[in-house]
Amino acid sequence: MEIETKYFGSVSPDAGSVVEFPLGLPAFERERGFLAIEHPRTAPLVLLQSMSTPDLCFLALPIGEVDPNYRLQISAEDRAVLGLDQTSDPASGPGVAVMALVAVRHDGQISANLMSPLVVNRANRRAIQSVRCDGAYSHQHPLALPPAGTGAQERPCS
Amino acid sequence: MLVIRRRAGESVFIGDGVEVEVLEIAGNQVKIGISAPRDVLILRREVRLTAEQNELAANSMSFASLAGLFGKMRHSPQGPQSPGDKER
Repeated sequence: MEIETKYFGSVSPDAGSVVEFPLGLPAFERERGFLAIEHPRTAPLVLLQSMSTPDLCFLALPIGEVDPNYRLQISAEDRAVLGLDQTSDPASGPGVAVMALVAVRHDGQISANLMSPLVVNRANRRAIQSVRCDGAYSHQHPLALPPAGTGAQERPCS
Repeated sequence: MLVIRRRAGESVFIGDGVEVEVLEIAGNQVKIGISAPRDVLILRREVRLTAEQNELAANSMSFASLAGLFGKMRHSPQGPQSPGDKER
């Protein structure tokens, strides 16, 4: 079965890995299945393509790319949705992938949502957007990216 | 903003159908109970901010713009360099 995508036309699900959000995401509660695609031209960005809405593709960054010292905290309810052990520390193991959703405003300001990280249990591919209440991180953490190349004039002469 | 002092067990009404009661005060947390009609949406502020941010995150951008913005990120001096990364 092919999936219609926003950026790559129709692709096979093998083009990435399928992630299931049993609860959807806030404002997108009906979107349960996403295909996580990494493209060499946009690495380390992860494109989260909705399996059911071709025009919906979220952008996410591995949380360590945004804040190498990020400390994950997730509630018991969220752990249960993910099927994670209630006692283990998910942030310390390779068993979970943690990402921040990236938003680009019309004025070009780019931010990452560190308040509500995406947490994926690699073992069962279940994911949740875990909303923190502790006020430790911003939902609009500004991202400083290297200036984008605008074309040939920025390349050094050779 | 209207500010009202209430003790545990006391409540306020908002409009016709909504009652907010302070159930318990313990340490730096307040437990509140909200009675409201089923069609009234009640969200923790963080969830609402997340929903708004997700709406923003779902907005359109071309792949070329994405590549322009993020394609150089791996070369950023502050980006963590992990061994075993795929080709840059």
